[in-house]
Amino acid sequence: MNFIKNIKNMFSGSGGELEETSPVAGTEDSPIESLVTNPEHPPNKTEAPVIRRVIRAPVASNDLFPPDDPEKVLIRAQPSTTGDQCLFMVNRPLLPGYSWWFPTFESAAGSPLTERLFSLDDVESVLIHEATVTVTRKDKTIFDWKPLGAEIGAAIREALEEGGDLIAETIVNEMPSEEAVRHGIQKAIDEEVNPGVAGHGGRITLEKVKGNTITIQMGGGCQGCSAADVTLKQGIHGSFRKFVPQVGAIFDETDHTAGLNPYF
Amino acid sequence: MPKLNQFKIRIETGDPGMEGLVLFNINSHQIPFENVSGGTGTGEVFEGGFEVNSFAHSLALIGPKKDEWLLRKVTVDYECENAPPYSVEFGEVKLDETTELDIWKDPPLPTFDC
Repeated sequence: MNFIKNIKNMFSGSGGELEETSPVAGTEDSPIESLVTNPEHPPNKTEAPVIRRVIRAPVASNDLFPPDDPEKVLIRAQPSTTGDQCLFMVNRPLLPGYSWWFPTFESAAGSPLTERLFSLDDVESVLIHEATVTVTRKDKTIFDWKPLGAEIGAAIREALEEGGDLIAETIVNEMPSEEAVRHGIQKAIDEEVNPGVAGHGGRITLEKVKGNTITIQMGGGCQGCSAADVTLKQGIHGSFRKFVPQVGAIFDETDHTAGLNPYF
Repeated sequence: MPKLNQFKIRIETGDPGMEGLVLFNINSHQIPFENVSGGTGTGEVFEGGFEVNSFAHSLALIGPKKDEWLLRKVTVDYECENAPPYSVEFGEVKLDETTELDIWKDPPLPTFDC
């Protein structure tokens, strides 16, 4: 069956044509127009279509790591489609319940895990989120993450095997409450972000706060915009961190299915 | 977003179930599943699919015309162009006459151990 042909048929002519040519119309008892519009109502009535809200269900995650050797530190790397960042998933918690963004070498001071990561030449920034590490690299012309990934994996493994705190105690102790994060981010959205994107017909809403990790949704003109990624990273991200410096991972709701593609 | 050649769906219904045609919404067009078997009554399992051969800018399972429909588990098998087949399992969710369930997921990104 050719779906494009079906859709073209739906737009191209009368119900009779559709019924005759569309493979979707299986029987005389279920003509195509009654299936592709509202089955309860006959065609050619000027009733407003039912507007439905699209919701999402939790996605069951497959076991990422085999449970046969829980003592062993296992790390799996997943480069982004653009190649500018790589997610490292670890089989044990690194910063349970929270996330933290380390934008510079200096910001890593006192955190054994990120100090090790920033000692690698090509590491530009690091985001720790629960049991994941997301790294951006300085050299944007290299898309093969395997060589640097091996070094990052070794650094994570060393830090874990060394024992003790992975992240500076001061960071964990000074983590703001969810309410404070929610209040600050909402303020950023209301006062700076939404007025900024309104000119493009866009709208940002705060969907969820967990610890200092936030999930936002882009709507209006932002939705489906090819520049949305850039907009998020360069503009909205900066505003959020200005209002709430301790905000960690920032997820776009559309990429949040597995919680693995944070913008930061 | 890759071109979606075809997909199959398996719906395990809880309580309440749903009576009537199972429809999905692709790029704002409501279409019934093909090659269907089973049902959507309480405790029943429905299976169906569709040969899309196009890009699924949106793909959603449409809720019941009235009342509620509890989906215990929804498994979708996707076959996309230039990508190996993959499956996604969605957890429990309840639909009603105002909602539809997003059932599109991009193919998983490649990974490597390190």
